[in-house]
Amino acid sequence: MSTVIPDVALIDNSDERALLALVLDCSGSMLEEEKIALLNAGLKTLEAELKSDPIAARCGRVLVISFGGDNNVELMGEWTDAMDFTPPTLSAGGLTPLGAAMRCALDEIESQKVQMRAAGVSYKRPIILLLSDGEPTDDWQQVAAECKNAEASNKVNIMPIGIGGQANRQILGAFSNKGALNLSGLRFKELFIWLSRSIQAVSRAASGGTVQLNPVDSWAQIQT
Amino acid sequence: MQWKVFCASATGKNHLDADEPCQDAVHRQALAEGFVGVVCDGAGSARHGQAGADLAVAAFARMLAEAVTGGALGAAAPEGRRAALADMLGAVRLQIEGAARAQEGTLRDFACTLVACAVWRSGGCFVHIGDGFALCVPPAGQTLLSPPENGEYADETYFLTDERWAEHLRVTELPALGPGALVGLMSDGVSPFAVNRARTGFYLPFIDPIVAHLRDAPEEVGNAALRNVLESERTFAITGDDKTLLLALAA
Repeated sequence: MSTVIPDVALIDNSDERALLALVLDCSGSMLEEEKIALLNAGLKTLEAELKSDPIAARCGRVLVISFGGDNNVELMGEWTDAMDFTPPTLSAGGLTPLGAAMRCALDEIESQKVQMRAAGVSYKRPIILLLSDGEPTDDWQQVAAECKNAEASNKVNIMPIGIGGQANRQILGAFSNKGALNLSGLRFKELFIWLSRSIQAVSRAASGGTVQLNPVDSWAQIQT
Repeated sequence: MQWKVFCASATGKNHLDADEPCQDAVHRQALAEGFVGVVCDGAGSARHGQAGADLAVAAFARMLAEAVTGGALGAAAPEGRRAALADMLGAVRLQIEGAARAQEGTLRDFACTLVACAVWRSGGCFVHIGDGFALCVPPAGQTLLSPPENGEYADETYFLTDERWAEHLRVTELPALGPGALVGLMSDGVSPFAVNRARTGFYLPFIDPIVAHLRDAPEEVGNAALRNVLESERTFAITGDDKTLLLALAA
């Protein structure tokens, strides 16, 4: 008798999404050290990584929010399934309306959840990744407190990440109960590879508990 | 009635790539007129999730088998049955706690989910904490389910080792099962392809060829065949998770 069973269908009947909002600093200082170019290249890496992994390509759902200009917050397109994700080309200039951008991200996440639920689609705890090389030029304290509250009530997982020596770690850290991390060197590429893998990670946490993400040592600066 | 009980586990792609072992565990025992089966999924986020799963399946399967064979479980009314099962799970937790203490850890380090089934002549039950899936297809009538409990997020669930585990203990009563009945237990790595999109039963293009094959298979051959399905590279595009499936067929 054979140990190979013929004609067994193996397809994915589950519909599970991982929501990822990227909140990206496009203020004038991002022009220095080619940071904006490296960030754009990093987004291309994210696209390639997401699309090369069949699970991430199917599960991931991405929204890019940029902030800069004359205190402008801009949705760079709509929520997009990872398999259809084409990153925008970001250009830098102007101010750093970080607070308004984070409020926009919180709102977008919650309305996307409502749509997922209405469609009967299950989802993982959403991630907001905030990248900034400076400090806010708008009112940020209130939004930062809302971000911490949203995290504490398990609505979202927020990762503020400082770029370069001028990033205000203290202010960035106020947006998450876990504080902020610093990008080591300008390792955007390693950061986005890590992010793509985090999307399809299967390591489950206790419901309502703290989320454990993959180790970040490939890109985060080790504090001494 | 005789039951044939098959089971297999396959290490998920993510654990294969990281050179880590499978964190699922499964234990089953055929009894004179029924069977017991237990599937546990060790939490990847816990240090000793795999050890927790191993301990839990062995201890709980032994207790369930004793309670079925001794007749206590079948004789009880549903409420009494639930209480007896909760007592057993409390004892399993104590065992895990002892193991944790010996390794200077805590219960949380041994976090695992649990989905189990006990079947005797006049009935049966599913016992479930957290995710994973249990299905019972009687010879006639509707499929009975014990679906996963995840809370809001698909990647978060409840564990036997949680402090408030008793609030998340779900017991589903099963009727007396006749020849032709099929019972399945699975970890959450298997349900995306073994359960249908509406989550109302097995996905038939998956399960029908397997059951047809297992009906005539000796246990060892059937287990190897099931393992081949779960180890198939075609599952890698569906899940990176460990995969465990137990199928019991009433002859």
